[in-house]
Amino acid sequence: MSNQIEFSGVKKVFGTGPGAVHAFGPVDMVVGDGEFVSLLGPSGCGKSTLMLMTAGLLDVTEGAISISGTPVKGPQTDIGIMFQDNTLVPWRTVRGNIELQLEMRGISVASKRVEIDAILASVHLEDFADRHPYELSGGMQQRAAFCQAMIHAPKTMLLDEPLGKLDAMTRERIRSDLQSLWMEQRPTVLFVTHSIEEAIQLSSKVAVITPRPGRIERVIDIDLPYPRDYEVKRSPEFSAYVHETQEIFRGYGVI
Amino acid sequence: MALFDKKRTFAALKLRLMNSWMFVAFFIGFFLFWEYSVVWFDIPRYILTPPSLIIENGAADLPRLLDYTLITGTEVVIGYALAVVLALPLGLAIAFSSILKRTIYPFIVCIEMVPKIAFAPLFISWLGFGLLPKVIIVFLVCFFPIVLNAILAFNSLSEELTLFSRSTGAGVWRTFFKVRLPAALPQCFVGFKYAAINATVGAAIAEFIGSDQGLGFYIQIVTGNMRPDLAFAGIFFLTLLGLSLFGLVTLAERLLIPWHISLRRS
Repeated sequence: MSNQIEFSGVKKVFGTGPGAVHAFGPVDMVVGDGEFVSLLGPSGCGKSTLMLMTAGLLDVTEGAISISGTPVKGPQTDIGIMFQDNTLVPWRTVRGNIELQLEMRGISVASKRVEIDAILASVHLEDFADRHPYELSGGMQQRAAFCQAMIHAPKTMLLDEPLGKLDAMTRERIRSDLQSLWMEQRPTVLFVTHSIEEAIQLSSKVAVITPRPGRIERVIDIDLPYPRDYEVKRSPEFSAYVHETQEIFRGYGVI
Repeated sequence: MALFDKKRTFAALKLRLMNSWMFVAFFIGFFLFWEYSVVWFDIPRYILTPPSLIIENGAADLPRLLDYTLITGTEVVIGYALAVVLALPLGLAIAFSSILKRTIYPFIVCIEMVPKIAFAPLFISWLGFGLLPKVIIVFLVCFFPIVLNAILAFNSLSEELTLFSRSTGAGVWRTFFKVRLPAALPQCFVGFKYAAINATVGAAIAEFIGSDQGLGFYIQIVTGNMRPDLAFAGIFFLTLLGLSLFGLVTLAERLLIPWHISLRRS
């Protein structure tokens, strides 16, 4: 089954009457099956709003969103979501937090023991399964949050600046982990970020979003081979993409 | 992970002593000063008695003191338990109902401004000298902090956890027991602890106003008889009662939310 996300004329207005704020859109875009698409834009441009609308956690004012051909109406349960502030609960261990995702969905935890161990190992957290979130560093917490968001094996991943609060080095490492996981399982990914480099390094397509009200100014196909490591980032092609993106933002006076 | 390490425990104890010796010295100094100043300044015994005499005479009157501690304790425990049992569900209901939030909630906030203890004489005149009016007053002084903190607790779930819960498609009850309730417990305990401190105050004052038994009654009567030594003995048992209740609530907190930031081992 093709697992693509379609946005047609999607628009979001907060409030009504003269006080209404036109936050986003209208936006038309297709995120193809297995693609990694970044929503790149300045803060306040409505990237997160689009993300929440895609997850069915926020109503669309105008237009429609569909995932795998099914219109989004209400919370989508077959996707994995990560936020900038993680959703780890302090009263459970790392393993307990992953199990929480399953328990909330009514999936038997016992039937997923192997999967839990495997996903923990894939982000190098196997030795920290029985620790509480507050015993972990920020980077480890986001890795644990990743496991929590993905344990139910969603085919679609919505990542809302999951690396936003991490230091530069930790970000770098988790990016490469994220890239390997995506290359291995090829889910459809919608990734919100305001880092130009991060967007270009990870994505097959970068949707450049204008300041409020957010619109997609251009969708740039990033035609660079995976895996994209330091070598790729030093290449002239990479710099050209960075330059192209920067020019758009410069035109809007964002940078 | 070794939870108990003899060497480290010893070191921690030593550090604790080093940090607290001044307090302990001050504490002992305070009572020594009290003990001898009564003699030095020649303070009459009907005004103030030295601590040694309080212990001696208090011990002599121990049966009565214990009896009254039991009576006041009963008022405190029943009133407090009632407050918890009624305030928690009400707080929960207000937190989740927009109608209750617009009707009962502002009413409760208004009543919270009224010193509840001012109702004590009324309840005594309506209900007599028995157990019931005291229980009601203890209930009143405990009820409001629990309700208000419960409302705050159940309304403070983080945006992310709310979205997470919705994204799983979990029902109301599952979300409540797996996410909302545990997340709300720390703030609820703020109310429980505050109420625990209020409880003995409420009971003592209710007994001052109208009663023929209990520690508040005892303190009032012996003070009238020029026996400050026995009054202090009564105050000691009242304090013990308050500390026990507070200790029990703190113990429950440690058992229920050991993960909370205020309780983590450093």
